[in-house]
Amino acid sequence: MTEAETMKTSEHDTDKVRELLTDYAGWLLGCGATCIRLEKNLRRIADAYGQNLELTITPHHVHIAIADRRDRVVFTSIAAARGGVTSFDTITRLSAFSWRIADTDMNIDEARRHFDSIVSEKPRHQWAVAPLVALANASFCRLFGGDAAAMAVVFVATLAGYCLKLWLCGLHTDIRLVFLSCSFVSSVIGASGYFFGLGSTPQLAVGTSILYLIPGVPFLNSFSDMLHRFYLCSLGRLMDALVLTACLSIGLCAGMMATGTGMF
Amino acid sequence: MDLNILSDALFAALAAVGFSSISRLPLRAYPYCAAIAAIGHSLRYLLMLSPEPALHIFWASLIASFVIGALAVLLSPKAHTPAEACFFPSLLPMIPGMYAYKAFGGLAACVLNDDPDKFGYYFYQFASNGFVCLAVLAAMVVGATLPLFMFKKIAYQATR
Repeated sequence: MTEAETMKTSEHDTDKVRELLTDYAGWLLGCGATCIRLEKNLRRIADAYGQNLELTITPHHVHIAIADRRDRVVFTSIAAARGGVTSFDTITRLSAFSWRIADTDMNIDEARRHFDSIVSEKPRHQWAVAPLVALANASFCRLFGGDAAAMAVVFVATLAGYCLKLWLCGLHTDIRLVFLSCSFVSSVIGASGYFFGLGSTPQLAVGTSILYLIPGVPFLNSFSDMLHRFYLCSLGRLMDALVLTACLSIGLCAGMMATGTGMF
Repeated sequence: MDLNILSDALFAALAAVGFSSISRLPLRAYPYCAAIAAIGHSLRYLLMLSPEPALHIFWASLIASFVIGALAVLLSPKAHTPAEACFFPSLLPMIPGMYAYKAFGGLAACVLNDDPDKFGYYFYQFASNGFVCLAVLAAMVVGATLPLFMFKKIAYQATR
């Protein structure tokens, strides 16, 4: 153990370090960090406080074994994923936080305060998300060859679906039911191009209207974990993403059957 | 053709900004994500243009995502965000969403159809779209992650 590490931990209870590592792991996992990011950041903090660390990462939990380098006492804990919403902002702040601990003489109490302030910060500019997502999905429609009318239909369908998603999530509805309901509503509104004869690409409006629900980040995380050989977490994340994709497809099919529009 | 590339870049940038807002990207990273997504998506568009080079979506996605990953790694210290916070949102417009939904639609249609000919057709839709979707996703992540392995020091010290 280096002199700096001894100085940081000798003044403070190692239990606080273990508690911080456990909470940090839970928040980073819950915010959608990749396993390799989780492992590197946790090791960085543990190293700075003179601890050795072994991890088992599953989709919703991190099993941590922390061994003090001085007395070799091993402490194990299980961190449940916290936060529940993908947030690159929090991942960025938590990563910067781990470097700050590694590069400065930040003691554990100061680190705890800093960590608490990061995770308690409320997301900003949330009012802008729904129109931005609607604009993004309308742009997606254009990328697939949709015309202006199809883009307008997709914009409205996405806005309605996304607002419904926020409302249902606020009621703590099961996420699978949320995806199913939102894709149904969006696809029904997306089919309005057929009914009112809007534009020449109404089929693209129906198909694109639900694409904002595709769980892109979980899919990318899953493949990234696979490349870094975190197979357990990778398969769990892939299954999560596939189940959500299946739910939105069922909602889409139900919407198409209700409106009498076809897929192929 | 030039206008098509510009329009492709513009709408890819808009899609990246909009979809990344769901994932709560740090505000300072939005311009970088928009620029990287525009370059990556228009490159894929160029690579898939017929008659030349007319690459398959798999190869075009692999090359474009490698460029996205390299740009994200090199720009992440400037944006002061982890590299994946730059390239994941930039990759989102390239996610083969249409293939995914056609695959599951095919699966649903398989279940609802007893007629062997229709079943065969829908099963083909399910399998071909599903395989392409998974292969393109894998290509995108492999392509974008390779620069992380190549420039590990830059990639993992961006927030330092």
